Amino acid sequence: MNGPPKVDHPGTAEDDGGLDPREAAALMDETARQARREFQPHAPHVAVGAAGVFLFGYGTVWWSFRDQHPYTTGPAGWSIAVLYGVIMVFGIVVSLLFPRPNKGVGGRARRQLNGLGVAGAAAGIGAWTVQGALRYLGYNFELVYGIYGPTVPLIALCAATAGYAAAREQWLELGVLVAVIAVAAGSTFFGPWGAWGLTGLGCCLVLLGYAAALSIRLRRA
Amino acid sequence: MTAETTEPLDPVIHATTRLRIMVTLATLNEGDTLSFTRLQDMLDLTPGNLITHLRKLEDADYIHTAKTGAGTASQTTVTLTHQGRAALDSYTQALRKLLSGL
Repeated sequence: MNGPPKVDHPGTAEDDGGLDPREAAALMDETARQARREFQPHAPHVAVGAAGVFLFGYGTVWWSFRDQHPYTTGPAGWSIAVLYGVIMVFGIVVSLLFPRPNKGVGGRARRQLNGLGVAGAAAGIGAWTVQGALRYLGYNFELVYGIYGPTVPLIALCAATAGYAAAREQWLELGVLVAVIAVAAGSTFFGPWGAWGLTGLGCCLVLLGYAAALSIRLRRA
Repeated sequence: MTAETTEPLDPVIHATTRLRIMVTLATLNEGDTLSFTRLQDMLDLTPGNLITHLRKLEDADYIHTAKTGAGTASQTTVTLTHQGRAALDSYTQALRKLLSGL
């Protein structure tokens, strides 16, 4: 065998009467590999970019208040602006440069994606509403913006997305989301410094691991 | 290739283009649909050629096509049916048996 046959000039509906079984097997492997690449939810370089967003965004916020002992005023306004700015730029770059793997995919996939949108919006709005309520009730900055802010909305959004990953049987993605939740939850034991610093660093490492796993999976596919 | 060797293979699937269509659709989860244009882009086929092969597969109840919308906003989607997925599994098994005997 010299590899899968290429179809440079597609034939008619009556073609291929002489398709060899070996060629058919190779064609099936090649087609399945190409299709999985096309439908791959996230390319490795997108995961690397997301890792950078966590490291730079969360790291910037941590950097702005790292010397506050005790925690009093919280992160600087500019650092929060940098965090959201980095997230927005990343979102725009990804949407412009990388084709959506779900483009043209509908049916159950579309319904599940719509469900994810609703679940994610509910999780995010719910988590941020509680944060507002905590501040309204007079809880201190350290809890509301130092510990809750960087972790609980992230946990809520990841939990909603994990449900989607489980429904799609995307076990690698489910593992990554559970790892992010574990990192964010565990980091709260180290106060605001841990919540911002360790969540940023930990999620960066998790996403780099995810990128490596995606690369291996794509090579093996 | 002799006719005897290829006899156990489903002739509806055992053709380059239709095999690629079936395998591509099978990589999606059951119940997912794929738009005609995305499928055409992925397989690098002309619309007429793709339609012809899809019609053959639909006649065998291996795929289901549906048209939504009207005019320029219309979209045709393609789904691998349960029967089509089973037929592809059978085809794969038959192919493995053939290859193990070669």
